[in-house]
Amino acid sequence: MKNRQKELAELHQRRLEDGNGPVSAFRADLFRMFRKNRAAALSVLVILLLILAAVFAPVLTPYSYDDMDLGNRLSPPSAAHLLGTDEGGRDILTRLLYGARISLLIGVVPTVVSILIGAALGTIAGWRGGITDTVIMRLADIVLAFPSMLLAMVIMFTLGDGLVNVFLTLALLNWAAVARVVRAETLRLKNTEYIEAARAIGVSGPVMLLRHILPNCLPTLIVLFTLNVPAAILTESSLSFLGMGIQPPSASWGLMVNAGKNYLYSAPWICAAPGLIIMVAVLAFNFLGDGLRDALDPHQKNR
Amino acid sequence: MKRFFAVLICLCLLGSCAAAAGAEDGLLRTAVKYDITTMDVAKTSDDYLIPMNVFDRLFETRLVNGNPSVEKSLCTDYTVSADGLTYDFTIRGGVVFSNGSALTASDVQYTFERLLKINKQNTDIAVEVSGSDKVLKGEAETLSGFTVKDDTHFSVTLTEPNAGFPAELSSPAMSIVDRETMSAGFGTVPAETIGSGPYVVKEWAVNDHYTLEYNSKYWGTAPSVKKLIVSVVADDSVQNMKFLSGELDMIDLQNQDSAIVASTYKMDPKYSSRIVSTRKVGMYFLALNNTSGALSNTKVRRAVAMAVDVDDLIRNLYNGDAIRETGAIPTGIWGHNADLKPVAFDPEGAKALLKEAGYSEGQIRFEIALDSSVPSTVANMCYAVSSRLKAVGIAAEVKTYEHAAWLEKRSSGTMECFVARWGMDYNDPANILYTFFGTEEKTRQRSINYQDKDIIARVAKARAIVDDSARLAEYRALENKLIGEDMAWVPLLQDMHLYCLGDRVESFTPHWAGFADFYAADVVLKK
Amino acid sequence: MKKKLLSRLGQSLIALLGVALLLFLMLRVVPGNPAAVMMGEHGDNAAIARMTAELGLDQPILTQFFRYIGDCFTGNFGTSYSLSKPVAELMGGAFLNTLWLALAAALFAWILGIACGVIAAVRKNGILDHLFMGVSLMGVSIPVFLTAMILQYFIAFRLHWLPIAGMDGWKSFILPAIALGWNSAGSVARLVRSTLLDILQEDYIDTARAKGRSQLGVLVFHALRNAMLPVVTMMALQLSGLLSGAVITETMFSINGIGRLAVQAISGRDIPLLQGTVLFSTAVVILGNLGADLLYTVLDPRIRKGGGPQ
Repeated sequence: MKNRQKELAELHQRRLEDGNGPVSAFRADLFRMFRKNRAAALSVLVILLLILAAVFAPVLTPYSYDDMDLGNRLSPPSAAHLLGTDEGGRDILTRLLYGARISLLIGVVPTVVSILIGAALGTIAGWRGGITDTVIMRLADIVLAFPSMLLAMVIMFTLGDGLVNVFLTLALLNWAAVARVVRAETLRLKNTEYIEAARAIGVSGPVMLLRHILPNCLPTLIVLFTLNVPAAILTESSLSFLGMGIQPPSASWGLMVNAGKNYLYSAPWICAAPGLIIMVAVLAFNFLGDGLRDALDPHQKNR
Repeated sequence: MKRFFAVLICLCLLGSCAAAAGAEDGLLRTAVKYDITTMDVAKTSDDYLIPMNVFDRLFETRLVNGNPSVEKSLCTDYTVSADGLTYDFTIRGGVVFSNGSALTASDVQYTFERLLKINKQNTDIAVEVSGSDKVLKGEAETLSGFTVKDDTHFSVTLTEPNAGFPAELSSPAMSIVDRETMSAGFGTVPAETIGSGPYVVKEWAVNDHYTLEYNSKYWGTAPSVKKLIVSVVADDSVQNMKFLSGELDMIDLQNQDSAIVASTYKMDPKYSSRIVSTRKVGMYFLALNNTSGALSNTKVRRAVAMAVDVDDLIRNLYNGDAIRETGAIPTGIWGHNADLKPVAFDPEGAKALLKEAGYSEGQIRFEIALDSSVPSTVANMCYAVSSRLKAVGIAAEVKTYEHAAWLEKRSSGTMECFVARWGMDYNDPANILYTFFGTEEKTRQRSINYQDKDIIARVAKARAIVDDSARLAEYRALENKLIGEDMAWVPLLQDMHLYCLGDRVESFTPHWAGFADFYAADVVLKK
Repeated sequence: MKKKLLSRLGQSLIALLGVALLLFLMLRVVPGNPAAVMMGEHGDNAAIARMTAELGLDQPILTQFFRYIGDCFTGNFGTSYSLSKPVAELMGGAFLNTLWLALAAALFAWILGIACGVIAAVRKNGILDHLFMGVSLMGVSIPVFLTAMILQYFIAFRLHWLPIAGMDGWKSFILPAIALGWNSAGSVARLVRSTLLDILQEDYIDTARAKGRSQLGVLVFHALRNAMLPVVTMMALQLSGLLSGAVITETMFSINGIGRLAVQAISGRDIPLLQGTVLFSTAVVILGNLGADLLYTVLDPRIRKGGGPQ
């Protein structure tokens, strides 16, 4: 028994020294993926462009996103307004650029929050087991049992409209799925030699979770992140489409499609541009997420 | 794969053949955004289409040569006592409900009492009858002020004189129901919703459509429309597409943005001649809370009025389909004062006035509360007003509230500023003046908080002036004080209600006050 | 086996009760008095107070909750504020429409998804593979309302092939079913492809090939049959998702289903209707998940024999 423990401790030490841990392997996988998977590489480019557009929106356009110009309503695309104007005479391109800020924030912020919550609860549930596990996982079951769109609608209904409430809604919606995956990963890791080794040399619970379990979950979390961002963007656009998300005059892509849907017949450009952008953004994140999963998740290789 | 798509395309083609089949004779197809909640007028003040078409009233208000006129319907004759309190009515004999039961004076009495006993909505006319308080409280079964003499004669005694009483009786709220065959399913089950009007309810598929059919027992002349199908289509663009492809015979354009109406219908030669427009008798105004911060200052309220460019709203937001309002009694209502001068758009003057009132630029800030459920044009009106106010140094930000929250805030009397609309229920100034300025409670509940108690008392009293010219003079004086001097609200405009008629419709006369609900008998189909 | 089944059933029941409680509490903290909304422009404060009492909204929350749960067991979900009808009756009518729509969408998704998935797997890395996988990823990425709008505008309005909206016979369900099923078709195609690829690499397929089975025979009799396990499970899950109400599709195509009722409930602040529709949809999902689990157990020989992975 003593011998076995010593052996494991050595194994653990060697792994740390070699830098052969999960993170560096992950980096290598990432590099290989971008070289092999052109769609993923292109997606990164698209995402970067969207981020740049959002950041530099005020520089890129001479118009303001919320000033009305009643004399200039529903004008078709022209040199002055490249993508035309909407029902309030506002420049669509400008609103699209500013909308990128809100829509990207909506993709990222709640996803990060839900991953933090989900990862924390998932590792704790997996590690502690017993009653903690049961309580957390039953709560997750309840959240997952709701049809997601309906739950989002109910939460928005309860909280009221507004950006922060959209963040909250999406975070509350997504943590459960993350917790489930992370818990499973934790359970798997718990029984690996690597963790056993760490435990053998007396690494404490919290340190174990933070230094050993979570870093090992990182590839999974990154994949979850890239796949949850587009899901969040889609959910928000659907909510806004039903008039339950961000309120005008703020601009989000979903809201723009919602405003434009009544003008579909006479001014299709109001809907077309934001609709297309939602699709492109979501597609880019999905391609990237797929690529990352192929590269990082051993179970999914060759698919 | 190929075969799959081939099958799909075949299915589509098959569908298209069936879809092309024409509509039957005498059928009118229209659409509404939301389904009705009940067919019982004692329980709604929103959904009048079925009450108007399936029931009769003692009087009807109809458009005659473009002007509203109160016409006798079930009532064939009436006299008023000298003190203005007692009305003696004679009603048409031989009228039967669609189930064959006779319509008598006793049914009219039952109609009044039923409204009071249900006590949900539309009690405001029945409460004028003496003895109504006892019925409301459940202390009496019958109205002491209502006397049935025989099947066709009855008299009604009011608690105070009201010259507008016959006009009020033409409101859909006063639809006559049958005492003998009243049942629990009335208002929800089509077969149990029995009236004496030109149509009967055939079917009500909740959230999808309802169907009215001609009532062969109807006492009046037979209408051109023999069957009316009203579908529920929430989406405006879907309504447009359905109309343009011939799936609807008539489209109500009131909730649509004027820019769409202009580009889709007005500028299209096929449709431009088929647009029917009528005034929506009522008005939009910018409500200002007379007790809230800087807005309690009359000069500030006047400056707000000067800063808003109403003509620009009419031109660009309504595409010209609106009339400027200048007072408190809307155009088209008895007592409207056409000579009242509008406040001129004058941003510089507004700035000067604000300075005179002691406010520096940016010092005044308030919130324009927007109800998220209003049509986009009204929302745009709020944003446009906000931009204009900012231009004169008033920081008025639009804040959107969900409908219920908006209502709650307004009813609490704390809303600072909002765009409001009042649609007239009957042709009398009391309908708007009494609602907003009749009592301290009423003016608070509307978040106007008008402060002059003497004027409030005079508004309440004016309803009882029997002599028409004296009443008119009093209402004009009150209007001058309320708006002209105190600028209790900023009058904006009265919009038009536009409809477009399809290939199968010859002519259409809309509701006199521009309600979305209409008399199907006022639609004439092409032969 | 039996024990596992029972515990799974218990879990579902607990989840359902949790959902009911959570939902009830959430909807009670919503600001705004529904009674005021019902009265509209004509309601004065006295009438609103009367209506509030009539609806029982002035009673303590716990009283309201226990009364509600008790009523639910007797099939009484309250009366809709905005449509003035029993919620159970409204949902009964709406569920039938949702059911038809879900079945049509599922049929579309499965036929298209399986066909594309199989072809893509057989032609791995070929043009068809890339095309189908690109399109299916697009299917997952495109918002439902966009698909719906495009179909409505081009197929129905421009080409007049099908009705634009409404519920006028089976034809009205074709476009909504495509709009709704597009998404699921993408996921099915991707899953079929990846499962097939895994299976085609396994030994017994080589054995079958060696035995002289034709390519198609191998594909259908061996590979596809074995690939169906995860696919069928996914389909069961998808069906329960579709049955829980397609909020956007139903709204856009004016189909009076559960999802549209929920949207209406929200815009009308109709709490009994919202509570009823969400509870009902959630029950459908929970039952569907339970069904998918059972299906998995029945189909997977390893689990049936009591061994295999958990």
